[in-house]
Amino acid sequence: MKKKSWQRALLTVASLGLALTLAACGNKSASDSKANSNEPVKISFWNGMNGPYQKALKKIINDFNSSQSKYKVVSTAQGDYTALQQKIMAAAKSNSLPVISQTTYTTVPDYSKNNLIEPLDNYMLKGDNKLSSADLKDIYPSFLSSSKYQGKYYSIPFSKSVRVLYYNQDILDKYNLKKPATWEDIAKDGEVLKSHGIYGMGFDKSWDMEFEGLARQAGNPLVGVDGKQVNLDSADTLKAANFIMDMVKDGTAKTAGEDFYWTQAFTQGKSAFYAGSSAGVTQMVAQAPKSLHWGTMPLPSYNGKKATEIAGNDIVMFKSASAEQKKGAWAFMKYLMSTKETAKWAKATGYVPLRKSATKTADFKDYLKKNTYNQAAVDSLPNGFQSNAFLGFSEYRTKLLEAVDAMLTKNEPVKKALTNLQTETEKIIKDNQQ
Amino acid sequence: MLNAKPTIKSTLKALLYLLPMLVISITFSIYPIIKSFIMSFYTKYDFFNDIVSAYGFDNFKFLFSDPDFHIAIKNTLIFVVGVVPLTVILSLVIALLLNRIKWLSGFFRTVYFLPFVTSTVAIAQVWHWIYNSDYGLLNYFLSLFGVSAVSWLESPKYAMLALIIMSVWKNLGFNIILFLVGLNNINERYYQAAEIDGANAWHQFTNVTIPLLSPITFLVSVNGVIGSFKVFDQIFALFNGTPGPSKSALTIVYYLYQKFYTEWKYGIAAASGVVLFFMILLVTVFQLWYSKHHVHY
Repeated sequence: MKKKSWQRALLTVASLGLALTLAACGNKSASDSKANSNEPVKISFWNGMNGPYQKALKKIINDFNSSQSKYKVVSTAQGDYTALQQKIMAAAKSNSLPVISQTTYTTVPDYSKNNLIEPLDNYMLKGDNKLSSADLKDIYPSFLSSSKYQGKYYSIPFSKSVRVLYYNQDILDKYNLKKPATWEDIAKDGEVLKSHGIYGMGFDKSWDMEFEGLARQAGNPLVGVDGKQVNLDSADTLKAANFIMDMVKDGTAKTAGEDFYWTQAFTQGKSAFYAGSSAGVTQMVAQAPKSLHWGTMPLPSYNGKKATEIAGNDIVMFKSASAEQKKGAWAFMKYLMSTKETAKWAKATGYVPLRKSATKTADFKDYLKKNTYNQAAVDSLPNGFQSNAFLGFSEYRTKLLEAVDAMLTKNEPVKKALTNLQTETEKIIKDNQQ
Repeated sequence: MLNAKPTIKSTLKALLYLLPMLVISITFSIYPIIKSFIMSFYTKYDFFNDIVSAYGFDNFKFLFSDPDFHIAIKNTLIFVVGVVPLTVILSLVIALLLNRIKWLSGFFRTVYFLPFVTSTVAIAQVWHWIYNSDYGLLNYFLSLFGVSAVSWLESPKYAMLALIIMSVWKNLGFNIILFLVGLNNINERYYQAAEIDGANAWHQFTNVTIPLLSPITFLVSVNGVIGSFKVFDQIFALFNGTPGPSKSALTIVYYLYQKFYTEWKYGIAAASGVVLFFMILLVTVFQLWYSKHHVHY
């Protein structure tokens, strides 16, 4: 009796192990095998969209799926951007990458170095489903240039926002101030408002995006194309950083700190202006009291030039997908960039449209008339820029944020912080080239 | 049965019973540990294709010369020293009090236990509000005593303190339950005997409760030390995905996370994990040695 039960236990364990192995194999063959020729090709799409954004995306995907019968896009939300990035890494390691995924274009150099992503040139510029030259001209140049790495397109722009200036009309009226035309105006207004206990300018926790904008207007990008030139301690860059830090030290500007975004403080009337993301308009509308009169406008000029940093995500295609899946993925990417869909996406989410033609459709004009807060982002697009991506970008960005943090919380002198950052960045670029 | 001699058959049988747990711990603990030990010696490594082209001690050399890693070690030690003794003492005191009252004790036990089962992110969000320098609850209470507003989360001076306070609060619940179990296991007769000998409450506490509670105290402190050395999620959640103002809450695991996920330096990340492993091992061995002399079973 005893012996029997022992044998039975052994049998159970063995069969359990076998079942698990089989299940694992079964899983693999299911995803590998080509579906019947009648069934649409499955295009898996990972993204980091949540809430209303996810809903808007689902709608567009459904439209795409019903617009044709060859392909079926299946989207999976992977949490926030950080989680998405980590899942891609894990999936790349375990050979279970999706066909396409949302990601920041700044990861493109690293992904392409590791041979994970497919250049899009063969689909985008060649073949029967390519973008026409009119299409290429229609898409804002800053989006196209950030999709390009070492002469090839690797990503398509998708969820993009720009930095805009929020202003508090009530404060401007009360203290007889005008909307600023230059950054110097903001500094001057700050002096006036300081005596009334109001900040001129509010920034998010870090002012790195405004800083890069000012540095470009002053004369140079923080890091040149492909990381060839590092300008973090150049005279122009120092001038830009000092401009911001002088306001902060003077008490005419403030960063959001623990609140992360300045939105809350802005709605409480703590500052007349706020340099924030155009994607934050939705939140601002939700949070601002009805009695508050506020508006948005493109960031003012500096050194006689205008510039605003574009942030957000692109979509990349992974090499591991089959040829058929890649073709379908491109069809979907092209669909997303079409005038109609990008306008629809922009209207539903508050992200900016990717094409000039989308901003000119009657439908979109009508939308802007009703949602005046979103006008500034569209107006800013011609002056939009994106930081140059290079190998080791995410490490550089961590260091950049650390440098800003050190200036703000440790009172590290601007020159010292940026000279350190210059050395660190040069080292990052050099180490990554080996 | 208990005195039966081990035979091959009985050993196999024992293994069979252990198998499910063994499979799980080998796959999810032992194998990764060995793997990360090996990975810490990879100096040139293609992560995605799993090709190692060079081995060496460079990762460890890098760690010992990296000022960030020094900060991480310092912060981790401050955190452990700040959290563990406070947690042990506070939870013992609360457990003693709970043990005295019969009324509503179940209710209070639940209240104290709640933080332990609540998600760290949710807790950190709440504390984020409590610590807010402008409209936070903590600064409001301090202002009643005339203390001017403290920038808990934005000042490098206070960030670690804020983290320690939150962690102590979060850890209390579980330790209180353990202490309560320990207190209930002490035979009432010891107290009766002590009373006959004329011991007052304090003497009963120091001569009966403390020694007989020592196995639990030992368990709680070993657990606390290991858990505190590995602190990560609280930091990530409390400081919005940053290691605190001016890296004031950068700990070893946070450092590891950064190296692995944002800088893609797998070898260095693994090496910092190995250093952490030996730090914990050293402290735990010391605790074990200490317990031989001071813990009474």
